[in-house]
Amino acid sequence: MLSVLSYGRIVARAVLGGLSQTDGRDYSLITASCGFGKDFRKGILKKGMCYGDDACFIARHKSADVLGVADGVGGWRDYGVDPSQFSVTLMRTCERLVKEGRFTPSSPVGILTSSYYELLQNKVPLLGSSTACIVVLDGRSHRIHTCNLGDSGFLVVRGGEVVHRSDEQQHYFNTPFQLSIAPPGAEGAVLSDSPEVADSSSFDVQLGDIILTATDGLFDNMPDYMILQELKKLKNTSYDSIQQTARSIAEQAHELAYDPNYMSPFAQFACDNGLNVRGGKPDDITVLLSIVAEYTD
Amino acid sequence: MFTFCVNSVNSGDSASTDRSHRWIESTEYAQRSTQTQRCTSWTRRGLRFPTQTQPCCSMFPMLTLLSMFYYICLRRRSRSGTRSESLGSRRAVELGQRSALPVTVEVEQYGKEVLDFSSHYGSENSMSYTMWNLAGVPNVYPSSGDFTQTAVFRTYGNWWEKCTSSGPSFRRTPPNFHSQDYLELAFEEPVYPTAVEVLETYHPGAIIRILACSLNPFSQNPPADVRWEVLWTGKPCKSLSPQARQFSPGIRQISFPTNLLRLEINSSLLEYYTELDAVILRGVRERPILALYKIPVIDINELSDSEEEISDAGGLCCRSTVEHRHVLGNGFFDRLPYELIQLILSHLPIPDMCRLAQTCKLFHKHCSDPLQYIQLSLQPYWARLTDTSLCHLQSRCALLQRLNMSWTGNRGALTPAGFCSFMSACGVSLVCLELSCCHFLTEACLEVIAQTCSCLQELNLASCDRLQPQAFNHIAKITSLRRLVLYRTKVEQSAVLSILTFCPELQHLNLGSCVMIEDYDVVVGMLSARCRSLRSLDLWRCRNLSERGLVELVSGCRLLEELDLGWCSTLQSSSGCFQQLARSLPRLRKLFLTANRTVCDSDLEELAAHCNALQHLDILGTRMVGPASLRKLLQSCPQLKLLDVSFCSQIDSRFVQELTSLFPNVSIKKSFTQ
Repeated sequence: MLSVLSYGRIVARAVLGGLSQTDGRDYSLITASCGFGKDFRKGILKKGMCYGDDACFIARHKSADVLGVADGVGGWRDYGVDPSQFSVTLMRTCERLVKEGRFTPSSPVGILTSSYYELLQNKVPLLGSSTACIVVLDGRSHRIHTCNLGDSGFLVVRGGEVVHRSDEQQHYFNTPFQLSIAPPGAEGAVLSDSPEVADSSSFDVQLGDIILTATDGLFDNMPDYMILQELKKLKNTSYDSIQQTARSIAEQAHELAYDPNYMSPFAQFACDNGLNVRGGKPDDITVLLSIVAEYTD
Repeated sequence: MFTFCVNSVNSGDSASTDRSHRWIESTEYAQRSTQTQRCTSWTRRGLRFPTQTQPCCSMFPMLTLLSMFYYICLRRRSRSGTRSESLGSRRAVELGQRSALPVTVEVEQYGKEVLDFSSHYGSENSMSYTMWNLAGVPNVYPSSGDFTQTAVFRTYGNWWEKCTSSGPSFRRTPPNFHSQDYLELAFEEPVYPTAVEVLETYHPGAIIRILACSLNPFSQNPPADVRWEVLWTGKPCKSLSPQARQFSPGIRQISFPTNLLRLEINSSLLEYYTELDAVILRGVRERPILALYKIPVIDINELSDSEEEISDAGGLCCRSTVEHRHVLGNGFFDRLPYELIQLILSHLPIPDMCRLAQTCKLFHKHCSDPLQYIQLSLQPYWARLTDTSLCHLQSRCALLQRLNMSWTGNRGALTPAGFCSFMSACGVSLVCLELSCCHFLTEACLEVIAQTCSCLQELNLASCDRLQPQAFNHIAKITSLRRLVLYRTKVEQSAVLSILTFCPELQHLNLGSCVMIEDYDVVVGMLSARCRSLRSLDLWRCRNLSERGLVELVSGCRLLEELDLGWCSTLQSSSGCFQQLARSLPRLRKLFLTANRTVCDSDLEELAAHCNALQHLDILGTRMVGPASLRKLLQSCPQLKLLDVSFCSQIDSRFVQELTSLFPNVSIKKSFTQ
């Protein structure tokens, strides 16, 4: 009788212990950014977090960490419009929305939609277009929510392997999905995708997962195995080592971009589509490297 | 010892403080020693003294008296000679006392939440140019310019007052009340304020009053008694430059801790929209003992004296001295004709009338005459108006025709029941009713207004954003309506359509920022069908008005003089709607096409050809307008007074300067972000 009770007690304790959440602590992202503009003259950081026509942001609100990258479409330069204005304003507005808490962590598409709407509320008549990729870590639920519009994207690396990646969205070769504001009258001629067509995904993360968010300047020049090789060199979760690794990835991509004989993923894709090209793809490169760690104040 | 003392007393006229102190010390020593030791000690020191005790005894009290006397005299001389030293010693004493108490720490806070405001430039579900940007740390300061991250009000200057769509102003406004807009900002922690700093980033100088509230808006059980105290008040001033500045006026010390500030704005002298970035409240947690800041000289007339209440006006003070005065002579004031006294009193503001009514029966009779209360503006007294005040005013307001209760009654000061009873008693002959920002209003109040005020012609419910949508259905019963303002309310499409159906005499309609209306084309179609005498229409930020709707509007409402289509981004100029507008409305005086990026040269040319009475034009943010068409417009519209070409990329500041010199009567606005 007594042994039954004690046995029951042990079982109950084990079951309850298994049912309860393993970890009550919040997660957070430790993020470092690095990048290079395509045009060497514009390599100087204009307003911070802006590399050529690319822009990015890192922000935090309560228990949510949010990152974003945007790649300004360079074709606007031919029409006298600065392509970086759109992407930089989009990312700055996303940052402001996050800092003021006007978002839901489980819906990064909401951030993109609100930010796009805010761009239209600006007195200054903005023109231009860009891709966008937003990654949100909900520290409490330990889930990552992402949305991606265009050919920027993210990789999630766990134990030296890619466990999640984003899909590229392209209309046709070298024409990704893009948010845009067109001059009046030219709305038919300018590609403009709504924020609703962005790809969304959500998944759980564990401590130590590495998330690499970048524009196509990285993915078109460095295949996965090279990125994974660089990531193996990440020693610990300190900000300095993450910054160093991000820098090395970006630098390597930048070197490969200007190598005329190197068979880059971009060249491979072009060959698959019938264009006989070889070499890297000179482009703006933006790399945001993050590690999931426990939240410390 | 004693001869020594006597000698030094004789030579005491040249006493310095040091010597006097030494002398005092020696005297005290002498006094003490006389008490302890007697003649034996003296003889030991070799001084000669009579050995008898009696003469010694007689000398001792005398000496004590003398020493006391000189002690007092010399202390007084030292005090007069070195006053600062003694003052310093007193301050040192006080500081010593103060250091024993806990040191008061100054707390610095940024705004936590904007709770209420009368208007703003931005859209209701946006963050650009909206009043909510005032909370938190500054985003723009110290840069200057027209940025999206600032708080901007809807109007500036006196351009809107000049339009016929704003009603005539109320008489008897007190001379120190100039406020046009307000905002209420809550902070985290209640403190006794020592300084308030406002970071203004564009065209500063609009703030004219800062008030503090005793209520904590975040507390669970609010007190019944809410007090507002004026921290600072000033006059509207002409802005010298549009550059950013930190505005930190000297504020009064108040007797209660506060975490709710109210800023009142008047931008009538400013060249363009004023923009605010942040507000910093500095204060201490404990009541300050000494003044921690200089108290400015406040004009006694500007202070809000909470003792004088309109509610006291009800009391009848029957003075027995009235008969006494008859005997003595009272200056024969009562010999004046009734109408003349009425005329004199018609220049007094309402609180003075109420105070006057308490002085004697004659004045009470005059001040209670309903003919004095045909126009009543209670907006300047929003902080003090309560149900009892309305109750007491009821008896005098039977002939009320124009009533302004904007801004009143918030935070529990007025109840719907009190307002309804006032309306039922006094609203029968009401012609104009201003109720902007009255958050106490409910559907029942509007029902009473609709029932009682059968000849109401003007109704202003701007920014009554807590009023439920079904309340607006009652407005349709007021069939004589000529002017209706529903800016920033939650009115729905069905209510608007029924109002337009039953109020065909509408001349001025404001549906700006009414976000609950789904299809403006339908609304505008009904307008053109039913309200043919429409003179002014404000459709600011109506999101889905299309070209078809606009063409229908201008074909039906031919008498339109003012049309505000700011931020209506769905209108496309390529459909020809603006040209159609210009052709159909020859009487057009005000046209706002703010941020419609499609306005082009041909539109301006049509306006130049047909709308020669144009006075106000806003074409902010278009890339398609060039210098030539602008010049032609200015030449063809000689009465043009306001032209806003901010952010028009083809119009640069050099050209604007050229136009200003050619057309000096036109105020050309070119905003910048820097």
